[in-house]
Amino acid sequence: MSTLWTYARSNIERTALIVAALVILMALFGGLLAPFDPLKIDFRSKILPPSPEHWLGTDGSGRDVLSRLLVGAQMTLASTAVVLVVVATFGCAVGIFSALVGGAVDNMLMRLADVWLGFPPLILALGFAAALGASLEAAIWALIFSWWPNYARLTRMVTVDILSRKFIASADALGVGTGAKIFRYILPNAFDVLIVQVTLDISAIMLAISGLSFIGVGAQIPLPEWGAMIADGRSYVANGWWIVLAPGLMIFLTAFSFNIIGDMLRRELDPTSRRR
Amino acid sequence: MTVPLLELRDVTIALRGSNRRMVTGVGLSVSVGEVFGVVGESGSGKTLLTRTVFGLQDDTYLAGGTVSFAGRTLPLDGYMKAARKLLGGEVGFVPQDPYSSLNPTMRVGEQITEALYLAKRMPMNGTATRQAAIDVLGEVGIPEPELAFRQFPDQFSGGMRQRIVFAIALAQDPKLLIADEPTTALDAITQRRVIELMLDRCRTRGMAVILISHNLELLRQSVDRLAVLYGGQLHNIAETAAIGHHTIHPYTEALFDCIPSKGKTLEDIRAIRGEPAGAGFGLKGCAFASRCRYAEPICVESDLPLNSAAQNGFTACLLGRGAPQ
Amino acid sequence: MSAPLVMLQDVAKSFGRRLLVQNRSFTLSGINITVNRGEVVGILGESGSGKSTVANIITRLTSYDAGSYVYDGRDVSGYLKSESFGFKSKVQIVFQDPYGSLNPRVTVADSIGEGIKLHQPQLGKTGREARVRQLLDEVGLPPDCGDRYPREFSGGQRQRIAIARALAVEPELLVCDEPLSSLDVSIQAQVLELFVKLIRERHLTIVFISHDVNVVRLICDRVYVMHEGRIVEEGRAHDVLTHPQNEYTERLLAAVY
Repeated sequence: MSTLWTYARSNIERTALIVAALVILMALFGGLLAPFDPLKIDFRSKILPPSPEHWLGTDGSGRDVLSRLLVGAQMTLASTAVVLVVVATFGCAVGIFSALVGGAVDNMLMRLADVWLGFPPLILALGFAAALGASLEAAIWALIFSWWPNYARLTRMVTVDILSRKFIASADALGVGTGAKIFRYILPNAFDVLIVQVTLDISAIMLAISGLSFIGVGAQIPLPEWGAMIADGRSYVANGWWIVLAPGLMIFLTAFSFNIIGDMLRRELDPTSRRR
Repeated sequence: MTVPLLELRDVTIALRGSNRRMVTGVGLSVSVGEVFGVVGESGSGKTLLTRTVFGLQDDTYLAGGTVSFAGRTLPLDGYMKAARKLLGGEVGFVPQDPYSSLNPTMRVGEQITEALYLAKRMPMNGTATRQAAIDVLGEVGIPEPELAFRQFPDQFSGGMRQRIVFAIALAQDPKLLIADEPTTALDAITQRRVIELMLDRCRTRGMAVILISHNLELLRQSVDRLAVLYGGQLHNIAETAAIGHHTIHPYTEALFDCIPSKGKTLEDIRAIRGEPAGAGFGLKGCAFASRCRYAEPICVESDLPLNSAAQNGFTACLLGRGAPQ
Repeated sequence: MSAPLVMLQDVAKSFGRRLLVQNRSFTLSGINITVNRGEVVGILGESGSGKSTVANIITRLTSYDAGSYVYDGRDVSGYLKSESFGFKSKVQIVFQDPYGSLNPRVTVADSIGEGIKLHQPQLGKTGREARVRQLLDEVGLPPDCGDRYPREFSGGQRQRIAIARALAVEPELLVCDEPLSSLDVSIQAQVLELFVKLIRERHLTIVFISHDVNVVRLICDRVYVMHEGRIVEEGRAHDVLTHPQNEYTERLLAAVY
């Protein structure tokens, strides 16, 4: 963490790091801090503006927006994390395999990835929603399903580059096994490029999950997922702007922060943008 | 005494931004028609010095001293602009890499006629310009210059490309040619051919040459005098004939002793211990002192003398080794 | 006299021209090379002569299309899997570029110790560490620098580390592919001195691949001169490099400064 802080060169980057850290803390402990039950409906106190009791007001069903936001952080970020972990692991495995095997298999896998990327995630998500029923799980599956080729292609490209370096020939001359080659040579050297991509994808996937929830194929409305919260608040924009603004701002700030951090990491870690 | 073509006095070069001094106190002069060498290891400042003096380096600037060309002193204010004005007319430049220094989308002939137009205002499409370009291609030893005129750079080998780069410089008929490691990327046989041809043509035309190289033996056999740079300091200016025969500057001697040149046996080769000092560290004392076999306490404590007098030989050695006879 | 360590007979290899890639098609043919135990054999040639491909064939990093390669009396094409692995502890290689030949993510000690771990697992952790320190000392580096990373070392020091890594498995044959070419002049002489010391003390058999006529003349017993994928001349290094018989060798020598 302290290394990340030393990378920051401007106040925007420092702010982004602080916001990201706060959002992660929110996702970890938000549920404990929530002053109200995020799902408890109370029509007597609906659409209350921000006040000392309800800091961010209440929504159309009288639920406390702050509590929903805090609990929703976990839902949104955890879904993002699940998608990323699965996608990055599977994509990396395919990419490294493809690069190591090479030849026709490599060609076939990469063409498959190209074709795969042609499917718009939105259509896939609609398909999954139709098959599994619209739910957060369906959105997660749809994103996993459509996102892995990005990582397969990136990892394959990085691996091919690493394999051409002389230390791989030196490892071959020593008889280093494939497993050790992957874990001691390829992955550590690919790490910088991958971590940049993962950071940039945090915001992309978060936006995608929220977006899918917003159009109704992801998390369903009573759930405090941020996208679903916006969808829920749509009808109250005129007399309850805070219901939409709070989750909207959170999505924007989080996505923006991770994007800035991703760009910062790219600048600091990516070998192509760095002098030796 | 005639006016030297190029004269540097106490030239100091610093990095933009940090103002760190990379090259300090260099004084040397190159006379009209002289073939002059600059030798140094990586980090010695040899490339930085010449590139900055001729306004080719963006991240450094001339922080002190004076540079005169053909009797005119270039102003310190707006130095880079003034220095660049010399290029492409009075000063020609042959860079290291023959593969990236030619425009791959322009025919060889066009690149030469463009140079002729820029330097001499010859019309781009005139028959005379065309003939002049073909002549200069022939002069640098390109077979079938008429054909080469119509070809693209990637149809030539590395050696031929470097001849083309040389032809472009030659076309402008400069008074001074700067060649920065012009043959490092080439094979031994091609390297020797290109160097010999280049120096021969320059000598014939009475052009002065500054040949920059890390290869002391190449320079020893090719140039008349050379400057030895180490750690951003000027250490020695020597007649090449003296190297290997007389007592010379300790670093020049050490450099000469570690090259396995023709006729040497394994016992003749003496490595210099330690690592080369990078440019920017030679601010106080002799940068070579830590690796020098003659070093004494004074070498670390005193500042190096400057080559202020316009003399032929110069040693910066604080022990006075290698002083011109 | 025992059987030669390396015997390449009529080895050939061709690289096809790949579609749309500017890559001159290239062939290696009629390569006959013999290396006896304890010899330092030079392979001299300019870039593109095929000398690095020969290095890779000798270390079995590259396959060949025709001919035979007999190592220590046994044709390598008939190697069993265990023999192939054993071969890797007998033949090691040092590359030209000291910046690319070490894994930047692994400490120097781990890099050097990797081969020991693979080929002499019985040494254990303490035995390995002791060997690494001794190797570092042998190549002229401080024995306690093992926990640092390659980027903290200069080019010359990295080349010493690469040499230590290759020596760690106690090879019989060390193939050096232009080990001095990317180093500064004063560092070249240092690493050359190290090679001379290793040749004298370890009685290593070395295949020294270089474009530098003078270095080959100084440290090699015999030399093969390569040009455009063929061997054009061979013989005692001193004889060939002072009185060449081949027209190409003659031109090469005349060009050397």
